[in-house]
Amino acid sequence: MNNEKHIPVTWKTCAYVIVLSFTIMTLAPLIWLLYSSFKINAEILKFPLALPKDFTISNYLRAWDIGHMGVALLNSFIYTGFATGGTLFLAMAAAFGLSKFPYKSKNFIYGAFVGGLLISVQAVIVPLYLMEAKIGIIDTRIGVILPYIAFDLPMSILIAYSFVNAIPDALIEAAVIDGASYPQIFFKVIFPFSVPVIATMVILSFLKHWNEFMFAFILTTGNDMRSLPVALTLFAGRLNVDYGMQFAALVISIIPMIVFYAIFHERLIKGFAEGGLKE
Amino acid sequence: MSNIKVGTMSPSDRSKRRAYYYFVLPAFIIYIVVILFPVGMSFVLGFTDWKGYGPIEFIGLQNYIEMFKDDVFLFGLRNNIIIMLSSIFIQIPLGLLIAYMLHRRMVKARKFFEFMIFIPITISAIVVALLWLRIFSPVGVVPSVIQKVTGNPNYVMTIFDSKNFAIVPVLFVLLWQNVSLYMVIFLANLQRIPDSLIEASFIDGASEMTIFTKVITPQLTDVIFINSLFAISGSFKSFDLIWAMTAGGPSHFTDVIGIYMYNNTFVYQNYGFGAAVSIVIILFSVSIIVIAKFISKRYQKV
Repeated sequence: MNNEKHIPVTWKTCAYVIVLSFTIMTLAPLIWLLYSSFKINAEILKFPLALPKDFTISNYLRAWDIGHMGVALLNSFIYTGFATGGTLFLAMAAAFGLSKFPYKSKNFIYGAFVGGLLISVQAVIVPLYLMEAKIGIIDTRIGVILPYIAFDLPMSILIAYSFVNAIPDALIEAAVIDGASYPQIFFKVIFPFSVPVIATMVILSFLKHWNEFMFAFILTTGNDMRSLPVALTLFAGRLNVDYGMQFAALVISIIPMIVFYAIFHERLIKGFAEGGLKE
Repeated sequence: MSNIKVGTMSPSDRSKRRAYYYFVLPAFIIYIVVILFPVGMSFVLGFTDWKGYGPIEFIGLQNYIEMFKDDVFLFGLRNNIIIMLSSIFIQIPLGLLIAYMLHRRMVKARKFFEFMIFIPITISAIVVALLWLRIFSPVGVVPSVIQKVTGNPNYVMTIFDSKNFAIVPVLFVLLWQNVSLYMVIFLANLQRIPDSLIEASFIDGASEMTIFTKVITPQLTDVIFINSLFAISGSFKSFDLIWAMTAGGPSHFTDVIGIYMYNNTFVYQNYGFGAAVSIVIILFSVSIIVIAKFISKRYQKV
């Protein structure tokens, strides 16, 4: 245990000042956003700081209708769900294959995946856009989900590999002797064993896909396929003057994440600390 | 490794090899098709002047030469470098300082503060950008507060129109979002350092400042280094937040290379040129990381 009695008052004061100002800097904008979203536009323009006088939910109705927030919310859930599930499954399978089988090609393949950490979305977006246009999956869900999965594989495989690699070989050999097939070993031995790392991977993947912007922005064109971040930039951008509607839309898109964070914050913080580094 | 070595291919060897391919290939094929192949294609396209139609003509290094002669690109590069420096010299040290303060329990309710300070990293860069855009806007919080404090009701923020300083509000928002990430990584690593080390230094009469700078920070050199590498590659990739907040404007004052690449590719439809810019983005981050690794190795040997 640290002994806090040693700590000089000046440090304690500084600590409170810094930590409190960061907390206020986090909370104040969010609280301002929340109550402003219930103000009518004229009030927002005239009294930016005041609490709502005529409490209204009309901003939310407009955001839902004009801004297509409902569709965007649904799309975000679909993209995030399928991409997170797909990444988890593929990364676990690859990690099993690369760590527990004796073939030479595995070093090369593992190296290729790890090298992917250096590649940015910008480096693939033009050819990917052209390829998707060519085979006709631009503006489709699969056209968004595939790149989400591919870009999440390097980090997920990195995390899964070190965990699966540490599972004792004796466990797998025993299952082989008992006559289990490799798919059975994968689902009945590797998966249950890896629950802690799977939780970390799922939470990090979920956050990454939920907040992803560039792929969804460039690979979708119509209102029907947009994710939340993309829908937001299109009607809440710099030129739009319907501030009330923008505030409502921002609140709609923040709420799922805050709920997610409130439930999983300990694991999320742990995941980031362990090796989940933000893109 | 779990393998029972057998000289010849037995049926069970064959099924084992097949299983290996079933496990590894789906991920690897998606990875090749969606990432490796397009990166190679970007590299090739970067040597052409292709505009999305017609025959593809190779023009050698022309795109790269043009790029480094373009003032817009160079100013974007300047902004990238400023972002990189501010993450290394402001965000990371601040994250370390806050982590240290929380670790040493200088404040009560440290779990609460950790929870609060970490919130921004979970919010999408687009939402963060639009939220702060409104806060800085003429009808936002910052101008109103300044009007109230200075008693000047006609105050307007002009920092966005200054060529040299338009990037400052962007830096502030990046700091707002990223400090907590570094804080969390440092907090986790501080837990590995035995408390007895701090106790011993205290008994030796070391001041809190000495403990922080001379005892704890040296223990975290490798973490600081890794954080810096990610800050470097992250700063060259930056796009989302700035695009949503300023789109590089006004008149490219807040451009970064990522936005320059987007404009050239998708607005002016210069696919060849845009691909060249995207290759430069990778080359910058890879080469800075290689240099940093090289320097750190040298440094460790001495």
